[in-house]
Amino acid sequence: MMTALDTSIPDQDLATGPTRCRHCGDACRSGAVTSPSGVFCCAGCESVYLLLHAHGLADYYRCEIAPGVSQRQTAGAPDQRFAALDDEAVASRFVTRFGNDLSRVTFSIPALHCASCLWLLERIWRVESGVTRSEAHLLHRSVTVEFKPSRTGPRRIAERLAALGYEPVIDAEALATPVPRVRRRLYLRLGVAGFAFGNVMLFSIPRYANGAPLEPFFQAMFDALNVLFALPVLLFSAADYFRGAWRSARTRTITLDAPIAIGLAALFGRSLFEIVTRTGEGFLDSFTGLVFFLLIGKLFQQKAFDRLAFDRTARSFLPLSVVVERGPDAVLTPIDRLRAGDVVVLRHNEVVPADGVLLDEDGAIDFAFVTGEQAAVQRHRGDIVIAGGRVVGRTLRLSLARPVSHSALARLWTHPVFAAPKRVWLDDVLAHFGRWFTVAALMLAAGGAMWWWPDARRAVEVATAVLIIACPCAFTLAAPLTLGTAMGALGRAGIFLKSPAVALDLSRVTAVAFDKTGTLTTSGRETSVRFHGRTGDEARLIGRLAAQSSHPVSRAIAGAISGGDGIDDVIEVAGLGLRGTVDGRAVVLGSAAFIGAVTAHHVPAIAGVTWAAIDGDLPQPIEATTPERPGAAAAATAVARDHETWLLSGDDAAAERRWSAVFGERMRFRQSPEDKLDAIREWQARGHRVLMVGDGLNDAGALAAADVGIAVSDSTACLVPACDAIIAGDRLPQLDAVLAYARRARTVIVLCFAVSIVYNVGGLALALTGRLTPLATAILMPVSSLTIVGLSAGLMRRGPRLEPRP
Amino acid sequence: MSVIALLIGAGGLVAAGFLFAFAWAVSAGQFDDTTSPPVRMLFDDDHSEDANVQPRL
Repeated sequence: MMTALDTSIPDQDLATGPTRCRHCGDACRSGAVTSPSGVFCCAGCESVYLLLHAHGLADYYRCEIAPGVSQRQTAGAPDQRFAALDDEAVASRFVTRFGNDLSRVTFSIPALHCASCLWLLERIWRVESGVTRSEAHLLHRSVTVEFKPSRTGPRRIAERLAALGYEPVIDAEALATPVPRVRRRLYLRLGVAGFAFGNVMLFSIPRYANGAPLEPFFQAMFDALNVLFALPVLLFSAADYFRGAWRSARTRTITLDAPIAIGLAALFGRSLFEIVTRTGEGFLDSFTGLVFFLLIGKLFQQKAFDRLAFDRTARSFLPLSVVVERGPDAVLTPIDRLRAGDVVVLRHNEVVPADGVLLDEDGAIDFAFVTGEQAAVQRHRGDIVIAGGRVVGRTLRLSLARPVSHSALARLWTHPVFAAPKRVWLDDVLAHFGRWFTVAALMLAAGGAMWWWPDARRAVEVATAVLIIACPCAFTLAAPLTLGTAMGALGRAGIFLKSPAVALDLSRVTAVAFDKTGTLTTSGRETSVRFHGRTGDEARLIGRLAAQSSHPVSRAIAGAISGGDGIDDVIEVAGLGLRGTVDGRAVVLGSAAFIGAVTAHHVPAIAGVTWAAIDGDLPQPIEATTPERPGAAAAATAVARDHETWLLSGDDAAAERRWSAVFGERMRFRQSPEDKLDAIREWQARGHRVLMVGDGLNDAGALAAADVGIAVSDSTACLVPACDAIIAGDRLPQLDAVLAYARRARTVIVLCFAVSIVYNVGGLALALTGRLTPLATAILMPVSSLTIVGLSAGLMRRGPRLEPRP
Repeated sequence: MSVIALLIGAGGLVAAGFLFAFAWAVSAGQFDDTTSPPVRMLFDDDHSEDANVQPRL
């Protein structure tokens, strides 16, 4: 499944502040479009707006204010990106045929986030004839479209969705969301347990109220009915606990399932014995109630997993298919069928699927995905280009050296760090606790029985009473309730956890490592350019020359300038610089070495600085920097108060001075993905529990190796590598508050544990003295569980709060 | 008093009926998605006459 985050509407009121895009509500900056319909942040948003109006779908803008998703990032996506859906084999992963000329296709739509989205996506039939029906799913962010294959197809539908601003995820990993069968079964189990609990309680109360056995006829009938109701609870509702206990006994790893199963078995066994031998009324009300409460805790635990499922592998970064030259034809081929020796054709913005050799003279490739370095790299004929690079500018032809599964990108994923599932502290604690608890309960039961021996009846009663009261129901409720609440609150604040247990791991972090590019700074696309010592006119001359190059720095310098009028004699030395005449003036632009060679002026080589000379004057620097994420430095400083913080950057040390104020000496530059991973391992070896905050594929190893990996994500459709949590880019300043909140959740759990121990000790005192009556159990069991629920909910509501996202 | 036995039997049947209704609802998928339907029901009916009307400001 695809990972997705809302693009937030910035916090200023829509009425004040900068002009907001009519479609997506983003602030309109450079590249904004003003048309009779309103102001849009980009041409993409305007075209979606016009398309909706043309099809009578303007109500989209009435459900919510500016509900759209900004189209700025999608501009320049390859036109052919959905062509793979024409291939039967590929399409069959998304499409099912269910009738005569009727098919169903399910797409994952990360941008799906609000009522307006739902409204629009269920009206696709207005836009695409041949669509009969569509149903959107807010929780799973997916849409299922039913269509007539004779009139339309999955590719056209995908293109339509993309045109409406809801780009479906068609990558090698994207799959339709399966129906949650586990969840349905849990609901059924809960329903049966609740039904039995209510009825058994009803038949038990007369006996309690009477203070003595009822008339024999009624007592026998009620007892029989109780057993009848309790049986499905034992066999169906509580089956998972017995299965879990059996599994843990076989693998000798005791979990909390073991004492629960023992307690449940003791409860039911003793009740049945008492009822059959007519020696008592049994504990069946407590038994059914206990299962009911346990299952509520389990439902809570599962609900928390609803929001996101985000396991990514290398393949989800790759396209579904690429164009392969076979003789004179260009054939679209799924990447699984690529072989060494195939010649693939990659257009601007397409991702290299497997390692290959460049066949063209030269070309620019952006490896930001793999290495984290911002600048595109020039490659020449015969150079190896590794998978994961993104083609910039000219279309390139590559002869593949290996199939996809053997490429460098896939190899990173075969690193053992991705193979072993991460250790979750909660599991360790529960396993440890479960073992201790089971042993203690069994020993206490045996001790109690020995004490009352040779009164065999009393001995058995005491032993079963101990096992019943030791059943750790309150314990099993404390963690899922508290962590589930924490996960929900964090989600509303823009931090999405992979599982509730991550909150507990976050609370134990002692060292925090930050990636630089994309994490502390914004991603490379928003490079800002500063001209030094140039007038506006001169800067424009340089910009017009820069527009002739496809190098990313040149593109940043050119900004919105395009076109080649008045420019002559352009000579570009790829990767170094270019020269030419602009309106009759000689302009030279490039690196220090290039300037030195062309103008004979010697200028220092400074990272992040490009030089330009006009008509042979003294070269002046142009600074191209990616802006710092607002509040990022402050966030790192705040975290540094309680944690050891490090900077791990794939870039060169150009930014060293800027960040030394925050990190001091604790900075490492030019780190490869493996270096980052090793650095994390090194700190762990020193006894640290490390939190890695990063983005992009180059951090994937470090994110997986760290005790907790948080990926920073800016856009809705962003791909996030293997990580435990995702934080929205604008929420990074909240990081310290997040850690404080996680620590608080841990305190609450510890408190709940303490309280339930008090209950258990009290209950054990009753059990060991042989005074644990069915009535006492029927009161003690729900009261202790409810205390834990109340305590967890009450304490989590107080204390430090997380600001929810606007 | 033995009429109570009859009443209990009848009550149990009614309760079992509801349990089966619940089981049917779960297996029919009514609990699969609890976020979209409450949003969907708030939509107005389509104003299809709006089609092809020029965007207004």
